Amino acid sequence: MTKRMALAAFAGAVIVQLVILTAVPARKAITRSTGRTVVLKVQPVGPYNSLSGYYVMLSLEISRRDAFGSVPDFSDGEECFAVIERGEDGIWKPVSLERARPSGLPENRAVVAGRVEHGQLRYGIENFYIPEAQRSAIAEDLRTNRDRAKVEAKVDSAGNAALVKLMIEDRVYQ
Amino acid sequence: MTESYNNSRKFRTALQSELPLWIEQGLVSEEAASRLQTTYQLSNLKEESSRLLSSVIFAIGGLLLGGGLISFVAANWEEISDPVKLTLLFAALVGLHSVGYWLWHSRGWQRLGEALIFCGCLLFGANIGLVAQIYQIQGDSYGAFGAWTLGSLAMAWAIRSWTIGLLALFTSFIWFVGFHEDSHERASLIYPMALTALFVPLAWKAGSRILYAATAICIVAAASVLAGEARSEAQLLLGMSSGGLLLWTAGELHRLSGMRREFANATTALGLGLLALTAYIWSFRDLWGSSETTRVPSLWALVFLALSVAGSVWLLRKASGHERGLNIGVLTVGATLSISAILAISAVGARKLPFVIMTNLAAIILAGIVIRMSLFREQRALFWLGSLYVVLLILSRFLEYEASLLLRSLAFLACGVAVILAGVRYEQYRRRQAANGREAGA
Repeated sequence: MTKRMALAAFAGAVIVQLVILTAVPARKAITRSTGRTVVLKVQPVGPYNSLSGYYVMLSLEISRRDAFGSVPDFSDGEECFAVIERGEDGIWKPVSLERARPSGLPENRAVVAGRVEHGQLRYGIENFYIPEAQRSAIAEDLRTNRDRAKVEAKVDSAGNAALVKLMIEDRVYQ
Repeated sequence: MTESYNNSRKFRTALQSELPLWIEQGLVSEEAASRLQTTYQLSNLKEESSRLLSSVIFAIGGLLLGGGLISFVAANWEEISDPVKLTLLFAALVGLHSVGYWLWHSRGWQRLGEALIFCGCLLFGANIGLVAQIYQIQGDSYGAFGAWTLGSLAMAWAIRSWTIGLLALFTSFIWFVGFHEDSHERASLIYPMALTALFVPLAWKAGSRILYAATAICIVAAASVLAGEARSEAQLLLGMSSGGLLLWTAGELHRLSGMRREFANATTALGLGLLALTAYIWSFRDLWGSSETTRVPSLWALVFLALSVAGSVWLLRKASGHERGLNIGVLTVGATLSISAILAISAVGARKLPFVIMTNLAAIILAGIVIRMSLFREQRALFWLGSLYVVLLILSRFLEYEASLLLRSLAFLACGVAVILAGVRYEQYRRRQAANGREAGA
């Protein structure tokens, strides 16, 4: 291999790594910058993820099937679309769960795309990573205010959701 | 049979220390000694030794540095905004890689340069985790290991580095286990093929025995995971026995063809070790007789068997004398274990006894092969390994089947006496061989 070819191969490998690092968050970054803000009610529980530090698993209100009233039968792996509506308190409530993405919704409604995994409704916003420095503060806050937690997320026109912050009463973690 | 030189450091070091004495005593001429010096590249020995030491030191340093960087990244700093954080991480990655490359190619410090690029690849993995954290990306963590594999593998190929290749191999196996567990049984069938296509040529180009052997282990381990997914012991047996046979065949092909002969010993040792482990595990009767959930043998095990048979045909045509007998013996052991597994899978026999006898027989034959090998390759360690394997088999049978304490104690005593007698006979044989050699020389 000539010196020039060796340099080209090396530069190519560095570019591959940079492209991967850019591609990993690309979808979430686009959703964050183009989506509309929704606030969802949650109830946290949660273990440990070795690669990304501690996180809490958020049990969203829209993750519960009974929150939607009558729900069609979904098979495992099937896509689902949760229609949510902004309430007077600013929190978005579940309205219906659909098989196909609804269109022409009024301004106070939005769609969150999800999937049925092992019988659970998942939207890709169920895990909130706890920053190292705030770990003990958040854990304590969650323990004492279990039913007062909510999250702010962005939802784009396709229904993709991206988690932005965790809020417990007037305290904000992001 | 194509012969090739023994280029092991051990042999070359011994040759270098003996050569002056041979010249002095007139055993070889100055001219012949010079030719030996050139052929075995004896003048490079000192440099190779210091290279090895420096590479070990740089590797340890690189690991420590990488560990420190990963911890630094993991202790994510809250005060810095996300864009600045990302810029710093990208800059650190490009910086480490660039400095490593510059030291290697412009300063000639290859080991240090490679160690820094290795660190860069560790940092790349840590960055994936941090980026996922910053953007609250969900999903299974095996995906992150998949991404880490792609980036590291690209770098390993670019600079032909076996250490980075080993890192990519390790992360790829974690990805495979997660991907396979996540209900992707069919798609993960491609993994052993991907390893063969991406890592074997890399090990070949980099001339790395370690990466070659590690890749072989991962291929066989992945095939065994895939074979055993039906919760079937017989499928797992087939995966392991066919894998062991393939490794042995590959190692012998390296030895006899002379192509990358340095890969031969590690590969054959892995093959024999895997066959010995497989035969020992399935020599217990409790592993036989369970009802099979599928009647079709695992795809990869069949591929391994087909490749082993093709390789063995070539080996048997090329090998002669002891080598031929050895290959026939190992082929018999591999075939016995594999056929037992196939019969158990296809439910030809629901009875345990024939299978238990077959696997015990295969284990005994294997021990005999290893002891025979120790005699004509003059490797004492092999003799002891073979003997201890026989003792292990006998004692396991005594402990497995109900026997009185007296009978068990007699078995232990008999095994002890047999091993000592065998050792004495072996040493006598070695002395006779040595004496014959001296007489022939005189």
